[in-house]
Amino acid sequence: MDYLLEETVPMADLKKFESKYNDEIQTQGRASSTAQFEYAWCLVRSKYSADIRKGILLLEDLFKNRDESAKQDYLYYLAIGNARIKEYQTSLKYIRALLQIQPGNRQATDLEGVVKKKMERDGLVGMAVVGGATLAFGALVGVGIALAKSK
Amino acid sequence: MASASSSSSSVTPYNYSYIFKYIIIGDMGVGKSCLLHQFTEKKFMADCPHTIGVEFGTRIIEVSGQKIKLQIWDTAGQERFRAVTRSYYRGAAGALMVYDVTRRSTYNHLSSWLTDARNLTNPNTVIFLIGNKCDLEAQRDVTYEEAKQFAEENGLAFLETSAKTGEKVEDAFAQAAKHIFQSIQDGSLDLNAAESGVQHKPSGGSKSHSLTHDSAPKESCNC
Ligand SMILES: Nc1nc2c(ncn2[C@@H]2O[C@H](COP(=O)(O)OP(=O)(O)OP(=O)(O)O)[C@@H](O)[C@H]2O)c(=O)[nH]1
Ligand SMILES: [Mg+2]
Repeated sequence: MDYLLEETVPMADLKKFESKYNDEIQTQGRASSTAQFEYAWCLVRSKYSADIRKGILLLEDLFKNRDESAKQDYLYYLAIGNARIKEYQTSLKYIRALLQIQPGNRQATDLEGVVKKKMERDGLVGMAVVGGATLAFGALVGVGIALAKSK
Repeated sequence: MASASSSSSSVTPYNYSYIFKYIIIGDMGVGKSCLLHQFTEKKFMADCPHTIGVEFGTRIIEVSGQKIKLQIWDTAGQERFRAVTRSYYRGAAGALMVYDVTRRSTYNHLSSWLTDARNLTNPNTVIFLIGNKCDLEAQRDVTYEEAKQFAEENGLAFLETSAKTGEKVEDAFAQAAKHIFQSIQDGSLDLNAAESGVQHKPSGGSKSHSLTHDSAPKESCNC
């Protein structure tokens, strides 16, 4: 399972989806959500944390501003990206938001297990969740509930 | 990623001698994730959401007297994931290409899946055709004979399975491994080639290239 957090994107693929994203911005002023998601999905699998952080920003933008129907994809890769840069609390927050949309989603519960195991290994278990994270979590859960109701 | 490589090797001996990388591909809803789950957990998931991106599973099996660890990437069939999931094809030793025997459209799309598989893997990659949901005989839309002929024309191994009852699921994964093992033995699969999708354990601790996609050295993770 840990493989999901450790496999890395081939550089050639990262470059390919980066150009596709940039080309769309140049020609249309804005990238399609597909191109942005593809690029972000590659970025969060990069071995460089700067790339991962960039991927997270792109996913946050998608989550806030784009297709309702793909929210679970964005949340899942936000959780993966944050776990890869050891932002475990943030990762768990996104996993819980995903579970609000799709209760019992196995990919989400599996990932939750991996992240918790990592935290244990890094000695982070029992660490208090700080105020800011709790607030953000509350906000996301709100979105999740609203989404679940709108179905 | 490379649990198999580096640090743990000196402490814990491997309880397998090879690692084979597999991918599972095919249209959405044909039962790829259920096949993986049935194979790794021996359980059927009746209500299963679409895969987001890729899923991953492992299991150690014994084939021809060898313990082999299968590392399986189960790709999402939904169109919006397809471009990126292609990067997981690289370095696969085995590809399970799945259609749903009750939905002809999933069978009709096989040639496009096959083209991708052929273009993105290496010539020794074993491509295994799987007609899933064979428990739903009354709703069958593709006959065994027809698919068998397609498989023969394209040089593929073929089985019908049911991820629900478990029928032939084990065989599909194991027979693919047997084919791969044969090509190692007869020398047609070069273990030292990058992207062979196979790692030999006792000697080679450091060959993790086929797993990382990119040859980044990684920490061991004991999984
Ligand atoms: N009767 C029967 N149903 C099955 C079988 N395999 C899978 N299903 C059902 O088919 C549906 C889709 O199965 P999945 O395993 O999620 O399909 P998938 O190929 O992984 O789909 P994507 O992740 O979207 O690509 C689920 O509701 C399963 O319960 C089978 O062998 N028999
Ligand atoms: Mg699936």
